Amino acid sequence: MGPPLPITLSVPSPQAGTGCPSGRRMAHVGHKVDYLAGFCCPVGGLAAGKPRVLCHENQVYLSNGSEFVYVYDQEGKVLKAIYRFPDQVWHVELLPLRRQLYILCAGNGIYCVSLDQQSRLMKQTDGDGKEDACPSSVFPVDTDACVVPDVTLCTFTLLNDVLVTLSQAQGQWWMKLHVLLDPDQESQPCRQISQVGFSTCDQTGDDGDALSSHFLPVLCCASAPGTAGPGEGLWCSGGFTLEEPLFSLLFGIDAAMLDSPMILCGFPDGQLCCVPLKALNSSETVDACSEVAGQAPPVKILHHLEEPVVFIGALRTEHKAPDDPDDQQLFGDSGCDCVVVVGHYGKMVAMKAERGEEAKVPEVREYYLQGPILCAACGGGSRMYYSTHSDISAVDLDWVSNASDPESIDNTAYVLPPVLSPASLSICSVVALSLSSRASEGDSELLALSAKGRLMSCDLCSPDDAHPVRLTPEKAGQRIKELLSGIGNASERVSFLKKAVDQKNRALTSLNQVMNVSAALLSNQDGRKPVTCTVTASWSRLLLRDTWAISCVLENWSECSLEQGWTLCVQLFTSSCAFDEDSVDSATTFTFPIDQLLPGSKREVTLPLGSAEGPKLELPLTVSCALFYSLREILDSASDSYESLDDLLPDDSPGLSPDKEGICLPLSKCTIDILQCLRLDDSTVPGAPPSIATLSDPVETFLKVSRVQSDPSSVEVSDQLLPKALGDEYLPPSVASIKVSSELLKNALKSFCEGAPLCCAALRWLLAENAAAAPLRSQDVSAVRGLAPRGGEVQLLVREVAVNNLCPAGPIQAVEILMQSPSLAEMCRVHQAVIRRIQQTLVLEQAAQGSGPPDLRMQYLCQIQANHEMLLKDVQALRDRLCLGDDASATAEKLLHVYRQLRNPSLILL
Amino acid sequence: MSPASLLLHWSLTAGLPAALPSLSLELTVLYNSLLFAVSESDGLVEGEAERINHGLIRVLEACGVSGQDLSTEELWQKVLQDVTTEELCAPLHRLGALQGAVWLAANCLGSVTGLFRLLSDTKGPLPSAHGGENELLALLKAWSVPVEGDTSPLVVQSTKDLKEILWTSAAFLQGLQGLEAGNLPTALSLLQAAASGFCSKRVLAQIYTCIGCCTQQMGKPQTALQHLKRALQVDFQCLSALSQAALVYRQLGETDAELEALALLYKALETPAQEAVSIDPCFLIRTELLVHTPALASLFSRSHPSEVKYLLAQRCLQAGRVGEAVEHYLDLLALLQEGPQHQVPLHGRSALPRIPEVFLEAASALEQLGRYQDAIAVCEEIISRTDDLIPETLRIELDSGAGGEAPGRAGSPSPGIPPQQRESLRCIVWRAAAYLHQGRAWARLGESKEAITRFTRCLNVLLRVQLVSAASIQSGEKMAEALPEAKVLQKIRLLALLGRGSQFQELGRDKEALMNFQHSLQVCPGDPAATSHLLRALWKLNRRQEAAALWQKLHADAAPADGQQEAPGRPYPLYLVSCLKQVNLPHDESLARSLQDYLRTSGQDP
Repeated sequence: MGPPLPITLSVPSPQAGTGCPSGRRMAHVGHKVDYLAGFCCPVGGLAAGKPRVLCHENQVYLSNGSEFVYVYDQEGKVLKAIYRFPDQVWHVELLPLRRQLYILCAGNGIYCVSLDQQSRLMKQTDGDGKEDACPSSVFPVDTDACVVPDVTLCTFTLLNDVLVTLSQAQGQWWMKLHVLLDPDQESQPCRQISQVGFSTCDQTGDDGDALSSHFLPVLCCASAPGTAGPGEGLWCSGGFTLEEPLFSLLFGIDAAMLDSPMILCGFPDGQLCCVPLKALNSSETVDACSEVAGQAPPVKILHHLEEPVVFIGALRTEHKAPDDPDDQQLFGDSGCDCVVVVGHYGKMVAMKAERGEEAKVPEVREYYLQGPILCAACGGGSRMYYSTHSDISAVDLDWVSNASDPESIDNTAYVLPPVLSPASLSICSVVALSLSSRASEGDSELLALSAKGRLMSCDLCSPDDAHPVRLTPEKAGQRIKELLSGIGNASERVSFLKKAVDQKNRALTSLNQVMNVSAALLSNQDGRKPVTCTVTASWSRLLLRDTWAISCVLENWSECSLEQGWTLCVQLFTSSCAFDEDSVDSATTFTFPIDQLLPGSKREVTLPLGSAEGPKLELPLTVSCALFYSLREILDSASDSYESLDDLLPDDSPGLSPDKEGICLPLSKCTIDILQCLRLDDSTVPGAPPSIATLSDPVETFLKVSRVQSDPSSVEVSDQLLPKALGDEYLPPSVASIKVSSELLKNALKSFCEGAPLCCAALRWLLAENAAAAPLRSQDVSAVRGLAPRGGEVQLLVREVAVNNLCPAGPIQAVEILMQSPSLAEMCRVHQAVIRRIQQTLVLEQAAQGSGPPDLRMQYLCQIQANHEMLLKDVQALRDRLCLGDDASATAEKLLHVYRQLRNPSLILL
Repeated sequence: MSPASLLLHWSLTAGLPAALPSLSLELTVLYNSLLFAVSESDGLVEGEAERINHGLIRVLEACGVSGQDLSTEELWQKVLQDVTTEELCAPLHRLGALQGAVWLAANCLGSVTGLFRLLSDTKGPLPSAHGGENELLALLKAWSVPVEGDTSPLVVQSTKDLKEILWTSAAFLQGLQGLEAGNLPTALSLLQAAASGFCSKRVLAQIYTCIGCCTQQMGKPQTALQHLKRALQVDFQCLSALSQAALVYRQLGETDAELEALALLYKALETPAQEAVSIDPCFLIRTELLVHTPALASLFSRSHPSEVKYLLAQRCLQAGRVGEAVEHYLDLLALLQEGPQHQVPLHGRSALPRIPEVFLEAASALEQLGRYQDAIAVCEEIISRTDDLIPETLRIELDSGAGGEAPGRAGSPSPGIPPQQRESLRCIVWRAAAYLHQGRAWARLGESKEAITRFTRCLNVLLRVQLVSAASIQSGEKMAEALPEAKVLQKIRLLALLGRGSQFQELGRDKEALMNFQHSLQVCPGDPAATSHLLRALWKLNRRQEAAALWQKLHADAAPADGQQEAPGRPYPLYLVSCLKQVNLPHDESLARSLQDYLRTSGQDP
C-alpha cells in the first residue's frame, strides 16, 4: 500500500429519516470518510478488544494489538513516531497534562513514554519492512520506562496523577491504586496506595480463563460534578463527568460528599462494579456477590450484563431548554446524565436518573443491539457509536416524549427511549473507535481503525452542511478527490460484501447437495439404495506378510455427486464374548474423507486388520458403514476468517453444539465371521475329494471320533482315543457336527446345486462369501482344511448320512456338517458361523415354505432332552464350583467334558 | 537459587523410579525447595502440601508400598510406621516439621497434633499433658530432632530452628483461638508461653498486644496497659497496641490519656510506614507465615488516619472539649476532601460513620463553640447533597416481623424494608437534622424569622415519611424498636417543634408557640422538656388552671419514674446529644413558686 491519499467523499446515510416513529428523533448521520493511513495487520485482520485509537489535539495515538504504538499527525498527515514494546500492547492511555503516554504491554506491565522525549530519542533505524506507510523511526522502549512491572495486569486507567490498575491473580481480580510521583523528586515512578479485591461470581475454572484471555475487563473513571473544571486537564480517555443527581443515585451519598471520583469496572463475566477512588480499600477481601447491608461497602455492583463488557461510556441526553441563553455554556460545563454499558453480544444498558417524583432511583434500561459488538465510542452528545463486523451504527438516546400524543402518555414516566433505532454509517469491520477531541470545534469526527489496519476519519457533521451550494473550480477538484476516495471506500466495502456473499453461496450449494443425497438415501428405504457400500473380507499379501483385510466398496448410483465434506465412516464392533452378540463392548471407527464421487463411479477402501501374528481381532466382527457430513464445515466456510462460528450463530440457537453436529446416513451393516476369512489350505483345495482319501491319520481319527461321538454311550472311548490318535497335541481336537435334513437343504440350496452333489453344494454355500474359496465352485469338494486368521487349523467336512431312531417312518436322509479344530475357540467360531448361516438361510426358507417336519419319535427326543437337562445341571454345578475357585483346572476339564457330551447327539435340523 | 533447586528437584524425581539410596537426598532437596517456595510466595499455598504428599508417595514406592488414594494424614502414618530405614529418619522428620508448618498455617491443629504424636513416638497423651498444659506444645517439646550427620545434605533452615518456630506459632495460634472463643485464662497462659518463645520483634509485639487484649477482657486494665506498653517498647510500629491502649484508657475514664494515645497514633499514621523489618535469610519460615486467623487480621489491620482523626474528634465532643473537637472535625473534613492519596475507609468495620453524620457532628461541634455561620454552612452542604435524593413521600410498610430485630448492631437491616427505602429514610433524617441545626444556629444569632423558616423546613421534610404498619397503627415506642431511624426522626420532630415554639415566643406570638408545644407533646407524650415548655407557655397566656393541672401531672409522673428517662433504647446520634441537652429548660424557681402559690390559693394543693 502506498502513502495514504487524503480523499474525501460524503455519503448520505441510507436510513436517515425513514420509518421514524413519532416522538423519536432519528439519528441523522451524514458523513465523509477519509483514509488517513494504513498499518500492518496480521493475516485474517485485527481482532477486536486490544487495538486502540486515541486522539488529542492533532495527534492520533494508535495501537493495533501488535507490539507497536504509532503516533500519527493528523494535520500533516504523517506518521511521527513508532514505539516498539517487548510484547503485545493491550491498552494505551494518554495523560495530556504531563504529555505522557501510558502503555500496558502484555505480560510485562505499564510503560510510560514521554512525548517530549520524542525528539531527543529520535534516531534513525531502518524499518523492518513491516511499516510501509511512511519511512519513520522506530523507538524501542526499554525496561527503564516500565513504571508498574506486573505480569498479571489486564487493564488500567488514569486520572490526573492517579493510576488505577486491574490485574488477575489467585482467581481474583485486584484493583490497585497508584500515585504517579514526580520523577525529578522521587526515586520510583509511582507508589501503590491501596488495593481492593473483587471476586466475580462465576469464575469457574477453565471456562473463565478462556473468557478472560479473550476479553479484557474495561475500566473507566466517572467524576463528580465540580470536582474538576473543564480546563483543569481532567482529560482521560474514556473518563467522564456525571451530573447530579445521577452521581449520587448511582454511587451513594458518601462518595458524592467525599467528592470522590468513581472507578467503573466491567468484567468479562458481565458484572459492572463501581468503587470510590477515595475508598479503594476493604476490611477484608470483598466478596462482591454478597452485600454487607447497612454500611455501604465500597464496592458496589451496579448491574450484571451476563456477557463480556466491551465499553463503558456516558452521554448527555437532555438538552437544556432552548430559550435558555446559557444553553451552550451549560452544555459544556455540566457533565453527562446517562451512563451506557455495552456487552459483546449486543446487550446495552443505559442508566439515568428518573424524572418521577416518587422514588429516587436511577432508571436502568436494557436494549438489545445487533452483536457482536467490537467496540464503541461516545462523545459529549446523546449519540453512541458502535461497531460490528459489518457496520458502524449510531444510536441516539435523546428521548423527547410527545405529550400531545395520547399513546405516548405511558412513556412520559420514562426518561429513556423505549426502543433504539440504529443508523448505519456504512463502514465495516472497525475494531477501534474514538471520537476526536476536536469535536469542540463544532463538527465532531470519528476516528476508526479497520480490521485491515486502516485508520479512517469520519466527519459526523449534519447533512445540511455537507452539501456545498456551488462548485467553484477549486472545489470541483476537491470534489473529484472526494469522489475517488468514495470509490475506494465503496470498492473495499463491495469486495468485503462480495466475499461474504460468495462464501455464503458456496455454503448453500454444498448444503443443497447434501440435502439431495440425504433425501435420496433416506426416502429409498426398500429398494436399492442410491449409494451402496459393499463389505468383503479377504487375505492379501502386504509387505511380504499375509494380511487379512476388509475392503469396502462405495458406489454412487445416484444422480448427484458426493462432494468434498463427506466422510465414509466404517465402524467395527467386536464382541468380547463371541457367542453373545448383544454385548458389543468395543468399537473402532475408521473415517475416509471423500473428495469427490461422481455419479456411477465407485471407490474402494481397504482396512488391513492385521496379519496372523498381529493383534487379536475377535470374530465375528460387525461392520457398519455410514456417510457423514459435518455441518461445521459449511458454517466455517460461510463465516469469514475473523468471524467465528459463535458470532454467526445466535446465542440462543437451541441445542446446536456446532462441534458435534452433522448429518449421518447409515449405508450398510454386515457381519464378518470365520467362514469368510478362512484361508484354505493350498494343498487340499484343488483336488478335494481325493485329498480327503489320502489324508492319513487326522481325517481317520476325525471320522472315528465323529462315529464314536454320534453314539452317546461311547463317549469315554472317544476321550481315550483322541489324545492317542493326535499324538503330538495334548489336547484333543474339538469336534462339532450339525445335521440338516437333505430335503431341507436341497430346497434351500437350489442355486448352489446345479447338478453337483448335495455335500459339495453345501460346502460351496458355506464358503460362498470367502474369496479364497472361489476355485471350489467349479469342483466337487466335500471337505476342506483352512487356517483361521489367528492361525488355528480348521477342517470342514460335509457328508450325507442317514439318521435312525428319530422318525418312525424310517431313517431320514441328512447332511452332516463336521467341524474340527485343535483350538476349541476356533471350532466354536466355525460352529457359530455355520449356525448363523443355517439360521439365516434355511430356517427362513423353511418358514417361507411352511412345510412341517416329518413325524418324529417323540420318546427318543424326550430322552435326549432329559439327558441334556441333566447335563445342564452338571454344568451349573461345575460352574458354581469354578466360581468358588477350588481345584479350577480339574473343574474346567470336567466342564469341557460335559460340554462335549452336550453336543451329542449333534444338532439336527429337519 | 530457588529455580535451581526446583530444577534439581524436578530432575531428581521426574521419571526416575524412587530408590532408597537417593531418597535421603531427594527429600532434602524437596525440603529446601519448599522452604524457598514458601518464603518467596510469602505464605503457604496449596501446591506445597501436594508436593509433600508426592514426596511421601515416592518414599512408600521405594519401600514397595502403595500410597495411592491415602489422605496426607494416612500417608504420614504409613510412612512413619513402615519406613524404618535409619538414614531416612532425619529427612523425614524435617519434612514432618514442614508439614506441621503447612497445617499450622491452615489452622489444622488436629492434624498437627496427630503428626507430632507419630513423630515423637508417643501413643497416648503425654503424662505431662494432663495438668492443663497444652498437648501439642508438650508433644513439640518432647519431639527429639534426629541428629544430622556430617555427610547428610545441607539444609537452608535447620530442623531445630523450625521446631522452635513451630512451638511459638502453635502457642500463639492456640492463644488467639482461646481469645476468640472467650476462654481467657487458657488463652492468657498460651500467649504468655508464646511470648517466651522464639520469634521476631514484630511478632513479639503482637503477642504482647494480644495479652493486653486478653487481660483487659479479664477485667485487669492496668495489667493490660503494662503489656501494651511492652508491645510498643518492643516494636513501635505495632500501632494496634496504641489503639488498644486508647480503648483501655477510655474504659478507665482517663480521657486525657486516651486522647493522647489517639493523637500519638494519628501522628504515627501520618508518617509513612517503614519498610518491613529486614528478614534474616536463615529463617525462611517465620511465625508470621504460620499464624493466620481472622481475629489477628482484624486486630492488627492498620487503621486509617481519617478513622483516628474521627475518633479524636468524637471523643473530644463527647467529653465536652468543644474547642478541640471543632479543630479535629475541621481537620477531618479537610482530610476527607483531599485527593485519593488519603484513602477513606467506607467498609463495614470502619470506625468512621456515614459521611453525612460526620458533617452533622461537625456542625454540632461548631454550633456549640458558637461558630454559628460555619455550622450553617456545613449543614447547607448536607442539604444540597440530599436535595435530589429524597422522594416526595416515603411510605414505609413495617411488617409485623420487623419488631424482632436485634438492637445491638447499628445499621443492621430490618427485615422487610428494602435497602433503597432505608437509604432514603436516612437521607431524610440527615436533611432534617441539618435544617434543625441551621434553625438553632439562626436562633442563636437572634434571627428568629430565619430560624422559624429552617424549623418549618425541617418539619416539612419529616412529614414526607409515612410509616405504615400492616397490622395496626403502632405506638411510637414499637415503631422505634422496629426502625431505629424512626426514633431519631421523632426526636428531631420534637426538637424542631420546641425550637419553633421558642422562636415564636421570642417574637411574642405566644399562641402559635403554644400550638407548637402542644403538638410536640403529642409527638412525644410525657416528654419532660415538652411539658415544661407547654407549662410555661400556658402560664404566660394566663391559662393558669391548665398549667396547674399539667404541673401536677408532671410531678406525679416524675416522682416514681425518676431517672428512668434515658435508660431504654439506644443512645441518640452524637449530633443530637447537645440539642437534647439544651432543650431542657433550666429549672425555673420563680415559676414553680408562683404555681405552688396558685395551687394553694385555688385550694388544690395536696
